[in-house]
Amino acid sequence: MSMVAILEQALNGFIVSAFYALAALGLAIIFGVLRVVNFAHGELYMLGGYAYFLAVSALGMPPIFGILFATVALAAMGALVEWLLIRPVYDGRADRPEEYSIMITFALSILLLNLANSLFGPWPRRPEPLFRGGVELGELIVSGDRLAAAGVAVVLIALLLCGLRYTWAGRAVRAVSQNREAAAIFGVSVTQVGMLAFALGAALAGTAGALMGPVFNVVPAMGIIPVIKAYVIVVLGGLGSIPGAIIGALILGQVESFGTILIPDPSRALAYKDAYGLVLLVAILLLRPQGLLGTKERRA
Amino acid sequence: MSLTMLRVTGSGLLLAGFLILPFVLGDYWIYTVTIGFYYAILAASWALLVGYVGRISFAQTAMAGLGGYVSALSVQYIGLPPVFGLLLGVMIAAAIGFAIGWLTLQLHGAYLGLTTIAFAEILRITATAEYNLTEGSRGLQVVPLLENGTRVEYYFLFLMITLACLALMTWLLQSRVGLFFQSIREDEDGAASLGVNVTLWKIMAFAISSAFAGLAGGLQAHFVQLITPSMMSLQEMGLVLAMAVVGGFHNVIFAALGGVGLQVLLEALRELGEWRLVVFGLLTLLILRAAPNGIFGIIFDALAKRLLTKGRDE
Repeated sequence: MSMVAILEQALNGFIVSAFYALAALGLAIIFGVLRVVNFAHGELYMLGGYAYFLAVSALGMPPIFGILFATVALAAMGALVEWLLIRPVYDGRADRPEEYSIMITFALSILLLNLANSLFGPWPRRPEPLFRGGVELGELIVSGDRLAAAGVAVVLIALLLCGLRYTWAGRAVRAVSQNREAAAIFGVSVTQVGMLAFALGAALAGTAGALMGPVFNVVPAMGIIPVIKAYVIVVLGGLGSIPGAIIGALILGQVESFGTILIPDPSRALAYKDAYGLVLLVAILLLRPQGLLGTKERRA
Repeated sequence: MSLTMLRVTGSGLLLAGFLILPFVLGDYWIYTVTIGFYYAILAASWALLVGYVGRISFAQTAMAGLGGYVSALSVQYIGLPPVFGLLLGVMIAAAIGFAIGWLTLQLHGAYLGLTTIAFAEILRITATAEYNLTEGSRGLQVVPLLENGTRVEYYFLFLMITLACLALMTWLLQSRVGLFFQSIREDEDGAASLGVNVTLWKIMAFAISSAFAGLAGGLQAHFVQLITPSMMSLQEMGLVLAMAVVGGFHNVIFAALGGVGLQVLLEALRELGEWRLVVFGLLTLLILRAAPNGIFGIIFDALAKRLLTKGRDE
């Protein structure tokens, strides 16, 4: 394989990693603060795609505002979901909070999927992308819409990491992730941070959906495959670990990118492509459930 | 009137209702209710695992699909009679359930949910990808269970099997094993310290629940005479979860009633198109949030309360 081909695959892998990271970071933040695995994350990603489609194709906004619109809409949606459905998990109203959180988010994902199917129809939509045409980087040619979307994703991730490190709200989010009781004692409103975390996670999923929607297609089922990848990533990096999610996304992006060109029999390899990540997921959960960077938990 | 009498009268009335039904209904609705029995067994088997043992699984429809595929393929390629195909399907489903239960012993809650989703999707992808064997997503033709069986014959056969499954589950859950299951749900370490073999019963719960799911899947495949990988999808799992939750997943009978009920509603509300799934989704969220005992749980509790207060007044 030539150097250019290797570089091309590596760049493709990196671009894919940027989207994966955006979706996986949302899952990680939600799990970190609320100890809830959001099984509806893929559908929030899908709604982000539709929010972008509505803003750009129906209302005629410029693409960059479309992304902003999707982010804000999904943040609001996330806050609402947290307030209506997730709150019983930690305020003592649910008998078995963990079971409740799994079932409620799974039921929510089915509801949102069917709702999108009914509202928008099962047809794929293709809104205007952020940027058209190809970009030449030396000898490499990359499609512009992907590169632009990945660029936005990288900028957003950088902003998010700075926000988590230097702002008060970001510190509160990290404090609650580390120790709920201690954070509460130091005057952090655990309830508000919980809402913030879910809104932030939903906004990240929605932004990822808005960025990916025009690159692939906007359809009701668009969230199913990316969310399973996001599960693989957060489990690989350690559930709730933010650096773990980024490293996991980088690993999975490269594995998938090189995996597809290294496997000899292409037709079968393609059919099984989505199963590899799942096998990886099962293997990590069974061998090292805390992931690469997660902390081990013992359930009492 | 005591609670036992309420239970007996309730079950008697329901049973009588299901026995009369095929003489009142047309062919189409008999068919619909028969499919409802498949969902009833499936929802009850899921409730057995989640409601009683507290072990979450999203692989229930995948296990049904596994039972269906094993039965269909063994009939087609080895030439087993369908009844033995069904039994083989049940045994393989139980064995895979045993293996999953054993592998996931250390996992709880969301981790278990994710692992079972992964298992289910791997099974579904394999059934789709191995098209030489399974015909992939086009679906595999399956030999009928009863040769020249009429709708009514199938109806009564499915009714009998569903009743037998529910009786078996109820008997199991009212025995010591049922107590073991509930003690594991409430406090695993506490149960272990009192001498419950937690490891064994956690694995057995998965195996038993999968066996029932495999039976349901095999019956369904031989009844509809077609099996596709979409039977194992997470959307189907969502439907089964909705059925068990709406009926009441802390009781296998309520979950089974939810299965029949929602399947009938699904057909009755056909005019609503895809919106009926939205309605079911909303109903599921509402019930999980506000009334975790499910609709039949609410009805039973209300009846019991009225009867008991009445008894006191007299």
